Formats: sequence, C-alpha cells, structure tokens
Amino acid sequence: MTCKRALAFALLSALLLTAASAGAADKKVVRLWQTETEPQTLAVLNEMAAAYEKTHPDVSIKIEGLAWGDLEKKLTAALAAGAPPDAAHGQPITCVSFAAKGLLRPVEDLADSLGKDNIVDAFRGLCRWQGRTYGVGHSPASSLFVYRKDLLTQKGLKVPKSWDELIQVAEALKETKDGQVVRYGLTMTGAPLFINIGIGELLKTNGGRLFDDQGRPTLTSKPVIELLDFYKKLNGVLPPGWTGHGYLDTFANLANGKAAMLYQAYGRGAGYIEKYAPKEIADPEHFAVADKLVGPSGKSPAAQLDCEPWMVFKDAKGASEAVDFLKFFFKDENYIPYLHSVPIHLLSIKKSTTKNPKYADNPMLAKWRPWVDMQEKYFKNDWIKPVLVTDWDDMRKPYLLEVMGSGILVDMVFDAVKGMPSTEAAAKAQKRVEELLVQSGYLKK
Amino acid sequence: MASFPGAAAPGASRALARPRRHRPALLGLAGILPALVLIVGLILYPVGYAIWLSFFDKHSFFPQERWIGLGNYVRLVGDTEFWDSLWKGTVYAAGTTALQLVFGVAAALVLHRTFRGRTAVRALVLFPYMIPTIVAVIVWRWLLNETFGLVDHLLVAWRLVRQPIAWLSVDHIMTSLIVMSVWQFAPFVTLSVLARLQTIPLELYEAARVDGASAWARFRHITLPQIRAVIFVVILLRGIWMFTKFDTVWLWGEGAGAGAEIRTLPIYAYMRTFTYYQAGFGAALSVIMFLLLMMATGLYFRLFWRDEEVT
Repeated sequence: MTCKRALAFALLSALLLTAASAGAADKKVVRLWQTETEPQTLAVLNEMAAAYEKTHPDVSIKIEGLAWGDLEKKLTAALAAGAPPDAAHGQPITCVSFAAKGLLRPVEDLADSLGKDNIVDAFRGLCRWQGRTYGVGHSPASSLFVYRKDLLTQKGLKVPKSWDELIQVAEALKETKDGQVVRYGLTMTGAPLFINIGIGELLKTNGGRLFDDQGRPTLTSKPVIELLDFYKKLNGVLPPGWTGHGYLDTFANLANGKAAMLYQAYGRGAGYIEKYAPKEIADPEHFAVADKLVGPSGKSPAAQLDCEPWMVFKDAKGASEAVDFLKFFFKDENYIPYLHSVPIHLLSIKKSTTKNPKYADNPMLAKWRPWVDMQEKYFKNDWIKPVLVTDWDDMRKPYLLEVMGSGILVDMVFDAVKGMPSTEAAAKAQKRVEELLVQSGYLKK
Repeated sequence: MASFPGAAAPGASRALARPRRHRPALLGLAGILPALVLIVGLILYPVGYAIWLSFFDKHSFFPQERWIGLGNYVRLVGDTEFWDSLWKGTVYAAGTTALQLVFGVAAALVLHRTFRGRTAVRALVLFPYMIPTIVAVIVWRWLLNETFGLVDHLLVAWRLVRQPIAWLSVDHIMTSLIVMSVWQFAPFVTLSVLARLQTIPLELYEAARVDGASAWARFRHITLPQIRAVIFVVILLRGIWMFTKFDTVWLWGEGAGAGAEIRTLPIYAYMRTFTYYQAGFGAALSVIMFLLLMMATGLYFRLFWRDEEVT
C-alpha cells in the first residue's frame, strides 16, 4: 500500500512538473543586460517588464543589471560561451566593434519608432557601421567637473580653466589639521574604465588624438606626452590612494567633504550629494559645475559621453521581441519614470520627452538645473565623445574595444605616475598597441 | 551419457564459464564508468582542448581558427607582460603560502590546547575560510580604505603612522592582497594541522616530560616530525591553489588602476582571452601555467619528499 502511494505521489509530481515546465516553455524568455544598477532604476525596469508581459503573455522579460566596468568582459565571456543575452547595453565603441564583427542585428526599426528627427542630434550616429544603425542610446549624460563653490570662495580662488590652474587650485584647497590631511583639493578614480575615459577626454581637450587617419596609434605625439605629464602632476595633488579608488569612492569623497573637487563626476553624483552631504550644503550652490579644463595644446573643453546604446544580438532567439520591448521602453509613460529614477544622470535621448511637462515635473531636475544645463551645453556644442573617441571618425575604428580591454593605456598612465619618463611610457604603450593591432589583423606591420 | 538437468555439455561449459568469469570485471568497470566519464569529460577533455587551442590563432568568440604551431609559445617568450605576471604570481603564491603556514600552524597549536571556549574559538577561526570571497574582499576593502577605513584610523589614532597608508594604491596593493589572502586561507592550514595534532599519542609528550624535555624540545622532536607529512601536503596544495588563484586577486584589483600591480598569471591569461580576445594565446598561457606547476611539484617532491612521510 505504501509503495502504491509513493508511486502515485511520484507520478503526480512528475505530471505537475511536466505541466509547469510546459507552461514555462510556452513563454519566450527575452534577456536584457543593462548598466543602470541603482535599486530604484531596477525597480522601474522590472515594473516595466511586468507591464509589458501583461499585454504579451507569451513573453517573459528578464532584465539584469551589470556593473558598468564589468559589462564588456561579461558580454565577451557570454559571446565566447555562445550564450549572449538578446539585447544589452554596451559602450558605443563596443557596439561598433560587435557590429563590425557581424554579431548585431540592425535596429533601424527601433530608431524609426523613436522618430529619427526626434533623437537628440548629437546621438543619432552613436553606433553606425557601414551605413546601418546598430544601437540606440538609452539615455545620454555628460561627464562633469564639480567643485565646492563655497570652499573656493572662502579661499578667494577662481574656478580653474586650464590643467595648470587645476593643479594650483587643488593644492590651495588641500587642508590639514594636526599634521593630518582632512581635505584633498581634488579626487579622481583610478578605475581602468575611467582612466580610459580620462585619456580620451583629456586628450581631446589638449587637441590630441589616439589614432591617426590610417589607424596607427599616436601615443608618442606631443599632446599625449603632455597628458602623461599632467597625470604625474595630478598624482601629487590627489589622495595617495587614488589609484585604488573606485568610481563611487570619488563621489563619497566629494559628498562628505574629504575632497573639494571631482573632475570625472556625473549627474548621478547629485543623488549621492543629496543623500550623504550635510543637508545645509546639499545643493548646486555649494556643489557647482564648471566647464571642463583645456590642456596646454588644446582650444576647447571636452567631456565624455555616457550613453550606452541598446544592442540586439543577431543570433538571439528573442531578437524581435527584444526590439518590441525596447519600443515599449521608449514610450514616454515608461521612459519618463525610468529617467526620473536617476534624474540628473538619465537625460532624455528623445527631444519630445524633454519637452513633455511630465518629464520636467521633477523636483530634482528643478533643483539641480545647472548640472543639467551644463550637460546640455556639451551636447549642443558637440563637446562630448564616447570613451576613447576624440573625433567622430574614430567610431569607424572597430578595434577601440580591444584597445580599451587590453589595459595598455591604463598601464601607460600608471607607468608615468610611478615615475617612468612620459616619453618612455608613451613609447612602450605605442609598441604594445601596435603589436595588439597587428596581432588582431587591424594593422599591417 | 547421463546428464544432469541444467548441466552444460563439456564443450559448451568453457564458453559459458568465460562470461561468468568476466562478469565481476564488467561489473567493476560499470561501477567506475561514471567516474571515468567525469574524469574524461571534465578534466581530460578541457585540458586536451586547451593544449590543442594553444596551437591556434583563435578569436575568443568566432569559430574560425588558424594553425600557428608553436607561434603562441614563441610570442610568449618575448612578451614582457607574461614575465611580469609570472613574477607577480610567484611573489603572491610564495608570500601567501609561507605566511599561511606560519599563522596556520601557530593557530593550530593554540587551538590544540585546552581552554574555556575552545570550541567556539575553533569555529570562529574557520570563519574566514567559509565566507564567500566577494564578501571577504568587500569587507577588507572597506577596512583598508585610507579615507574611511578602520585600519588606517586605528594606525593613525595609535600614532603608529603619521599619514594613512593607501593600502589599495600601486605601492601597497600587493601587500594588502597578501594580508587579505592569508586571513582568508590560513584556516585551511589550521584545520589540516589541527586534525593531525589530535592524532598524536599523548604518551609521547608524557614520556618527553618525564625525560625533562622543554616545550620547545617537545615541539621540535615530537610535534614537528609528526605533522611534517601534513605540512608537506599543505604547502603543495596551498602553493598550487595560490598560484592559480583567480577570484580573490581579480576582485581585489578589479575596478582599480592599481590592479595592474597584482596582475598574476591567471589574471593575465583571462585578460588575453576575454579582453584581447586572443583565446589561443590565453590557452598557451594556461598550458604554461600548468607545466610550471608540474615542474615545481616534481622539484618539490625531489627536494623534500621522504619515504617515512607516508604515515
């Protein structure tokens, strides 16, 4: 009897399991990897996915948040394993690199659904390869130079405009008490991604390029040498452990008064300031933004464009469904709550959304208006470029992803910072990049 | 000719007896078959494939590959990054293994003694080995942060240093990684040595005491010879594991430019495979790492193995 009961129970369980798995198998699972990992953003995205699933009962949307710095490595590992997601964020150079390798599905249909003239002008060509669109940015942002206006005023200092002035002001802002440094003048991150960003951005402000028109690296050029000399000087004014400081450490340093200026800030920093800085100073009057600095050989400021395009993988089983979901994502009723989840950082890529009163109706956007205005100024003047891109033509070079991933440029900066003469560090990096490009078949010996 | 029911004819009996004789062997084979499949599928095939791959110029996620023979190995000899990562990996493995041994054995000796709360302390000592690496790394990164961290705060407060030490900077990241790794992995040594200590007959110590042996003499002439075999194995295992350690090193350096200072061989192999997209070269690095460990193990056995250590 007991055996019969056990058998009946096992059969029933098997039937239930089969039914459950059959139900799950009926649904097409669409996986999306994206870089906005703040809890409130993930909550909005999950709500959006649930709303989409209600009208598309045959689709299951799985959204995963990945750390910005990890994205490329994880995508590469997933591609190597033959299991990429259906759609993902990527740096613009990642998108171009993947498009050039034939890994992506064109997304003109997605771009068209937004209205081509409706996309902010600077970001229409964010990821194009051989005349086709392979990526649509989820939300643009510009890197920012943030400084403590009250501290500069107290010390009678002017806002720096050049690299040399930045060093001087940073030294003047440094404060000590009983022999201990209680505030550093400047904070920057040593994270590899941000060093790559810094190299592109600073080189652009110094009138330099990383590659010439033939695609050969130009690391031994004067603007790069000056850039390395500048990093040596920065090393003298930054906190001693800056090389080990992550992106969020620098926001913490600024918000709680351990540093007076942050060169590679972003709009999301406003949220950290609201949360961690003393209430009486948590506003843009104290944490002001200024133009990026101009290098000795440069003429105009430059900033980094933080705008990961949505990419859809060509061989993805849920590619069409992913595009359909992304169209849903960009609808104002879904897109605005997404943008409001990190209001000063997630700006709209659609002109129509920016004009939508519902979008403007946000207390953070009103309060931190100068931060938004500064970013929009850079958008309008075309002073922003993606990581490692100093000229839009660089987006035709499909190997920037490999150059970034190799860490060669980061090593070049740290070689200089550790004391190697700038010319030597640059020559070493030049040789390594040339070798990399030759080995990868992008450059002839 | 009479025959018993069920009895086989003489000619047939040999033929029938053979399968019966082989049956235990077949059963035995069937018994070890799952293990054989696992060994071939999970160890031999991946290792063989890695060796095979190392002879190709192969992109990490495209199926195309080009035979280049020993090309990757020739390139490797002239690759300064390889030699640099080999040196850093050796420093890390040697430094952490030596310190784990010192602290692990010391902790085992202490925990072998009888005192109140010994069981709780023993459990506590094993704690670092049981927590996930990512948690250990995050906690230690907070502790060692030179702006907010407890370690620097105490060092400065107790006037042991004038300025906070930037543990995660280019100058100190290897030191801090070694400290963190020793904290995390020394409990393995403690556990292994403690297990052996508990099997040493107490009579040996009593006899030594009667003979007037000091504590040091008892340790040197009784404890050390008894735990020598365990120490031999522990050094071998920990040395191999630390040389191939990936997660702790990666997480410690990941997100920081100073990470280049702790770019050990496994990290470099990973980078070549997943950030340079050179799967063939990455495989060659892995093969070299394997061969180096084989050679080091052979040398270790040749230099330090004694027959009496089979205890």
